[in-house]
Formats: sequence, structure tokens, C-alpha cells
Amino acid sequence: MSLLDFFRQLSHLGGLPAALLAGAAAATIVIVRDWRLALFAYAVQTTMLAMLLAQALPVEWALLQAIAGGLVAVMLYLSARQLHVSGQAGLSWEARWPQMASTSGFRLLAVMLAGVAFLSVHESVALPRVSPLFRDAILWLMLLGLLGLALHDEPFHAGLSLLTVLGGFSLLWFSLVQRRMLIGLADAGQVLLGLAISYLVVSQGLAGQQAKQPGEISE
Amino acid sequence: MTDTIPGPLLLLALLGLMAGGLYLLRRVEALAAPAAAGLALLLAIGLWRLPLAAPVRLAGRGVWLGQPVAWEDLSLQIAPVTQALLVFLLGVAAVTFILAWRTYQGYTFYPFGLGLAALWAVAAMLQPLTLAPLALALAAILAVFLIQAGKAGETRGAWRQLLFPTLGAPLFLTAAWYIDQAPLNPDDPTPYRVAGWLLIAGFVLLLQPAPVHVAIPAVAKQAPPVVAAFLWIGGQSTTLFLLQRFLVTYPWLASAVDSARWLLWLGVFTALLGGVLAAVQDRLGRYAGYAGLYDYGVVLVAMGLRGTAGLPTAIWLVLTRTLALLTLATGVALIRHHLESDRLDRIAGAASRLPWATIALVMGGFALAGMPLSAQFASRWALLQLLAENDPRWTIFLLIGALGVTIGAVRAGRACFGKLSGAPVEREPRGAALLAMGLVIVSVLLGLFPQLLTEPVAAVILPLATLGP
Repeated sequence: MSLLDFFRQLSHLGGLPAALLAGAAAATIVIVRDWRLALFAYAVQTTMLAMLLAQALPVEWALLQAIAGGLVAVMLYLSARQLHVSGQAGLSWEARWPQMASTSGFRLLAVMLAGVAFLSVHESVALPRVSPLFRDAILWLMLLGLLGLALHDEPFHAGLSLLTVLGGFSLLWFSLVQRRMLIGLADAGQVLLGLAISYLVVSQGLAGQQAKQPGEISE
Repeated sequence: MTDTIPGPLLLLALLGLMAGGLYLLRRVEALAAPAAAGLALLLAIGLWRLPLAAPVRLAGRGVWLGQPVAWEDLSLQIAPVTQALLVFLLGVAAVTFILAWRTYQGYTFYPFGLGLAALWAVAAMLQPLTLAPLALALAAILAVFLIQAGKAGETRGAWRQLLFPTLGAPLFLTAAWYIDQAPLNPDDPTPYRVAGWLLIAGFVLLLQPAPVHVAIPAVAKQAPPVVAAFLWIGGQSTTLFLLQRFLVTYPWLASAVDSARWLLWLGVFTALLGGVLAAVQDRLGRYAGYAGLYDYGVVLVAMGLRGTAGLPTAIWLVLTRTLALLTLATGVALIRHHLESDRLDRIAGAASRLPWATIALVMGGFALAGMPLSAQFASRWALLQLLAENDPRWTIFLLIGALGVTIGAVRAGRACFGKLSGAPVEREPRGAALLAMGLVIVSVLLGLFPQLLTEPVAAVILPLATLGP
């Protein structure tokens, strides 16, 4: 079975479950501090978005979206992993113990408030040529993406939040416009954006490690 | 003609190939800087001198500058007014590459600078117009690597300048769909109204006036000063050019959302905020950022007055601000490099060791404030008169901003005097001093003889006022 066939069969499961999973993944990105969980949530979100898009676009084009998202996830994983591994080398057992962020509760509350706001306005928002399910998914992803941008100032989580906003927009735009070239351009832009975010993640992460001996990263 | 090379293709291919080659040679700065500057200058001269309407022979091959390149729905074409912008961008790039070489701005600037110039050129040449902001978003993504310049540490400046254009591009794409829908039901004004608001919101994110100006001071603090000046000059000029193209191509946009009033208010607020904050900064980089923000607000005000004589004034301001920003950035870059800091309490003694850098710093600040004997004075004076005819209160706000920028320049200049507090500082290199001297002299000359710019401004006004889709 080819990747395309597999994705075609998978896309039949799209609809409400895919929208719910994408929404939950967006909330996870905003709330959790752990980079592995956030990155896993982004991967789930990208896959679910591609499954939703398969209802509006030919499956091949929707698969392209999943591949672009996958490439971004790989770049971010490599960046975060490199920092994590080199940052923990030589540290004591106590220093390597996982740390919980005390602001996670606050971010959970913010997401819940965003949920209340979403529930109170989503039916009054009119988006052209999209089903109510798509409308809700678009609104939720954009709302949580913007919330994530407001709450996070480090490039990893803020970058994932920006990608979440753009993911919500892609649902809207690809429902309105189905042109192969524009989809290719948008996906190429997403990969470039992922590269820039990964670069910023490494740049910021290395700063903490180089506090003892400042230097430059390889360009 | 089928055997001719289209101008856009040649331009982008040369910029792209040189950028790729220079990335491999980026550590050989003595080669990379002159090569990048030479290509940019060559292309600027070529675009300036060669005709658009007919093919010419170059190195045995036919080249037709005005010939469009099409790819499915997209096309790239050099129109007369695009030609003027491209000459300006490439000319600025050539000067900036040489300045960057002598002021230690980092060796990645040359390949990425050429890449940025190529993306700005794409934004200027691209049809359909509503897709052009995508090229600006890509330029913002590329600029991340320039601003960070290989340094580990704070990423706020790079992140902020990436964020707003990336969020703005989707608004233009959605507006494009509404614009396409409007002719299907001519009696319904809703698509135009929605598209108008989406375009205005998109332009606010692209232009980044106050209060969404946060990228400008962050970039000023983080990026090498000459690189930051290049980003502002190129990015802001291209965005303003796009705004003018939108306003001329979609005349309903001006009336649907009263864009002139929006620009005026945003411009006045930006100038006032930038000026006031420029007076109270404790770092040269941030001072340069807020002084540049003040000046940018003034240009937005001129764009808001486009219905009267605002457009020629805006073009005049864009030309003179380029010189002022580069002068200020050169001074800041030299002082920051030699004294290893740009904090006002750590640059004492700069005037004795780096006299031309200090003069460039103060003269650049005065020029951005629009003081007499600077290149900006005549254009700023013309704008203030124009603005006073509309509403004298706005003039007062701009003057308050100018006072803030002047106070900041005086504070910065004053901090450069006194005895050196730290380790001995090397004297400024002769090449860098000559460049700073040259910028200051040209600025004063243009302040004394502003009519020198009449011809270039006049050459751009007509095509810019009538440019089509």
C-alpha cells in the first residue's frame, strides 16, 4: 500500500474526530511546557489538518500539506533535541530532573477562557464557503494560535503557535481557492518558516549553554 | 521576441546565483563585500540606463527588460515605476555592502542581503498584486538569519520582525478572494468592504506603525546597525510602494475605509511616540531605532496626504531618510564595535578616538529630526507646511517628535565626550572615517542644495501616481 493510498483511507476518518484532535493538539501546544509533548501535539495537529483538508482538496495536495508539516516537525525536533542533549551533558542527576513550569496552570485557565469566548461567538461568525465544522476548527486554531503568541515569548512555543494560526488559515484559504501552484507556494513558505523558527530555537538555546564561554553558532 | 532573456528573469537569476556563490565564500569578506556591491551597482546602472520597451544586446544575447515572465497565474514584469524602485533598492544595497564591510557587520550580510533584495524585487514586480505581500513575508523570514547574524542569545528582534508580515500575508490572500467575488454581484458592496478592511489590517501588519512597531527597536538593539538600516530602508520602501500600487489599482480602497485618514493618524502617532522615546534611550542602537521610527511616521504622514502634494514629498523623504539612516547607522556601528558597547554611560572618549563616527552619529540624528543643514530639512519643511494647511495640530505633534529626536542626538553626542573609561581604544580606520565623512558631506550638501534631488523625484512621480495593476 502506497503512502497516498494509506492517507486516502485515513482521510475517511476525517470530520469531527479530526477537528477535535486538531483542537486538542492546539490547546496542548499553548498549555504544556515540555518540548516533546508540544512537538508531538504539533505533529498530530498537522496530520489532522491534512485529513480535514482532504475533504476540500484532492488527497494528493492535502498529503503535501502533511509532508510540509512533517518536515517542520523534524527540523524543530532536531533543534530542540540537540540543545537538550548537549545541554544536559555533564549535569548531575538532580539537575537533570524534569522541571514543571508554574505558569502551566495559568495557561490552562487562559485556554479555558478562550474556550468560553469561542463557545459564545462561534455561531455568529460567518466565514464564506466553509461548513460549520470547518468554521469552528478555523476559529479555534486561530484563537489558540494567537493566544499562544501572546503567552509565549521563546521561539519554540511561539513558533508552534504561529504555525497553528497559519494552519487555521490554510483550512479557510484552501476551501476558497484550489490552485496547485498556490498550495505549493504556501507549503514551501511553511517549510522556510519552520527553518527560521528552528534557527531561532537553536540561537536562543545555545545562549544559556554558552554563558560560561560566549561564542557564535555555525551559520 | 522568443530568443530574448526577460529582464525579471535575468535580474533574479543574477542575484540568486551571486547570493549562492557568496554564501560559500562568505568568510572571505574582502571578496564577498566588493563582489556583492559590484553586482548590485551593475544591476542598478543597467536598470537605470537600459530601455524597458525594446530589447538590447548584452554580451551577445538579447535582453528585454520590460518582457514579462509568466508561470501559471503569476507573472513578473518591470514597469517604469518598478524600474525606479529597483534602481533605488539596488543602489542602496551597493552602498550598504561597502559600509557593512568597513563597519564590521558580519559576513553573512552579503549573500542574505542579495537574497533580500531579490525578494523585495519580486514583491515589486509580482502580479497578481494581492500575492505580492507573500514575497514580503518570505523576505521577513530570510531577514531572521541576517538579524541574528550567527549570534547565540536574544532572539526577540528577529522573532518580532518575522511575526507581523507572516500574520499579515493571509489577510491579503483572503482579500484577494473577496476582490475576485465582487464582480459576480456588482450591486452588493459587501465584498469590497470586507476586502478593504482585510487589506487595511494587512497593511498595518506590514507597515508596522505604532503601536505594532515593536520589531523596530528590538531589531535596532539586536542587529548590526547598518544591517538594521538596510532592512528598514528596503523593507519599508517596498511596503510603501506596494501600498501605493494597491491604492491606485483598487481606487475603491481609498473610499471604502478612508485609508488617507488612517495613514495620517497612524503616521502622527508613530512619529510622536518614536520622537518622545528617542529622547530617553540609554543605548545608541535603541536611539537609532526610535529616531528611525519617528522618521518613518513622518513618511506615513506624507503618504496620508497623497491626494495633495503628499506623494512627491513622500518620495523626497524616502530618498533623504536613506542617507540620514545610513549616516546614523555608520556612526553607531563604529562606536559599538570599537568601544564594545553602545550604552551611553560606556562610550565616553569616543569623540577623541572616533571623531568621524561621532560626527556621523550626531549628524545622522539631526538629519532624522529634520534639522537645518541636513538632507532632511527641505523635505521635512515642505511636509510641515503641507500638513499645517490641513490641521496645524498635527504639525505640532511632529515638531514635538523632532524635538525628542534632537534631544536624543545631543545626549548621544554628549556621552561621546570625556575621558575613556575602559581599555585603550583603537583609532577609527581611515576607510571607515572616509565613508562616514562622505555621508556627512553629502547630507550637508543636500541640505544646502535640495534642488539636486528635484530631477530624481520628478522622474518617479508620474509613473507612481498612475501605475496600473
